[in-house]
Amino acid sequence: MMCETTDGGPEQDIGADSTDAGGGGEDANEAELAQFSALLEDSAEDLYEHAPCGYLSTLMDGRIAKINTTLVDWLGYTRAQLLGRKRFADLLTMGGKLYHETHFAPLLAMQGQVSGIALELKAADGSRLPVLVTSQVKTGSDGQPMLIRTTVVDARDRRAYENELLRARRHAEQVGAQAEQARAEAEHARQAAEIEHARLRQVMAILQSSLLPPELPRVPGMEAAAYYHTASADQLGGDFYDLFALGQGQWGFFLGDVCGKGPQAAAITSLTRYTLRAAFQHASDPVAALDTLNTALHDRYSGADPRYCTAIAGTLSPHGGTLRVTVASGGHPPALLLRGDGAAEYLPTPGGLLVGIMPHPHFTTATTVLNPGDTMLLYTDGLTEARTADGPRYSEDHLHAFAQTLAPAGAQQTISVLTGLLESFGNGLDDDTALLALGNPAAHTDPESA
Amino acid sequence: MTTTLTLTTRSIPTGAVLTVAGDLDHDSAGQLRAAVDAIVLRPGDLLTVDLTDLAYCDSTGITALIAARNHTHTHGADIALTAVPSTTLRILGMLGLDQLFPIHPASEADA
Repeated sequence: MMCETTDGGPEQDIGADSTDAGGGGEDANEAELAQFSALLEDSAEDLYEHAPCGYLSTLMDGRIAKINTTLVDWLGYTRAQLLGRKRFADLLTMGGKLYHETHFAPLLAMQGQVSGIALELKAADGSRLPVLVTSQVKTGSDGQPMLIRTTVVDARDRRAYENELLRARRHAEQVGAQAEQARAEAEHARQAAEIEHARLRQVMAILQSSLLPPELPRVPGMEAAAYYHTASADQLGGDFYDLFALGQGQWGFFLGDVCGKGPQAAAITSLTRYTLRAAFQHASDPVAALDTLNTALHDRYSGADPRYCTAIAGTLSPHGGTLRVTVASGGHPPALLLRGDGAAEYLPTPGGLLVGIMPHPHFTTATTVLNPGDTMLLYTDGLTEARTADGPRYSEDHLHAFAQTLAPAGAQQTISVLTGLLESFGNGLDDDTALLALGNPAAHTDPESA
Repeated sequence: MTTTLTLTTRSIPTGAVLTVAGDLDHDSAGQLRAAVDAIVLRPGDLLTVDLTDLAYCDSTGITALIAARNHTHTHGADIALTAVPSTTLRILGMLGLDQLFPIHPASEADA
């Protein structure tokens, strides 16, 4: 009822002002003001009851003493169900009740006023109504608190707007998360591909190394050194070599080149290497070994897709201070001899046919003796067919001239110098290249003068 | 540095002449195989491969020549090389292939 009086005041004042203004005696003005007045609330009571916000007066113990129609309608209760029966807190949700008890009421008791608090009212049908609540304590003339006046503003639109903002933010976060996930998946796929690529390279490196002896054996009274160059890290090479004991002080060796590159060539390289090795164990004879290999290749690969290799194979037998060498060639470039006296010469093996082409080929043999200081070099045509920086290809004549300036040289020195030569070709070295040097060490010479 | 491979085929009463010019290597050997496969050979025919303008021949080129030889023999025909450049001749000799391929001097390609 206090609420009514206070709120009604200004309206009455406006009415009184208009009446006073009408006292001016101007009829037109008076009629206009009357019309204006009619547009305004006809009574303070009606304004209170049907205001666009809820009004509520509660006793100090919280019981509802007075409530306007707007709020009664919002809540869906009858006025009788509320007046004197429910407290303001009873209209709140559980969370609202707690907040009211712990914050709202103490603040109100302390300050006499609390404004703009967002709460949720619970309607009779259980639905929830978001509101903004402002309360003020009305004191009597003795300064004692008498009752609490409360206005309740409908905050549904505002809440809907807040929810919309919240939803938009969540959506943005979700889209961001999806983008982040897509990025993570792409990164994951890239890493997986990288791992797969690395694995493949590792497999190829293992296969490649399985085609070569991991390390040359130490041979008493002989110096052995080798070098292997692959034209491409991703390509399995087709060159091969080996050095192995044959028993009774005799040693077997071979070096060769399977035509072609890649996995098919590598498969034949493997076949070739193990066939030669096994054939040597059966009979310590280079020609027999090449015959066995020829049969193995020719049986399997002929016709439109011939597969063949060039190979040079041989035996070494110590004899006194010398090494007796027998080599057989199947279409392979001749061995190069670097003599201890500084001469260099090829060990010709002409007419030996490529291995794997004909059913019954004829392989050519040659023999020589390696005296102390002599070194025999075996090589593949990666060396003699490399493109030099000047343009023309390196050739057997070039190699011969190079060897003449190099000799005399031990096996290790020969390989080191030729490795440097190969590196000087750079990109011109477009084929795999294998080198194997076998030498009879010079007697009592220190390596530095060699 | 690299010249392309040019192949031309013409029929003559006794068979066919295949002219090979340029680089016969890993990249171009397949073209030679395809050209040889396209040549119709009857038993007793001779396929003459003219190498006058062969600039370079690597091991895959040699393989293609061996495949050509296998192809002619399958059809009861024969193969011969003519005007082989000296470097290639040296390689053929080293590989022992001069025993497998009849090799003729230049003038016989025109026969």
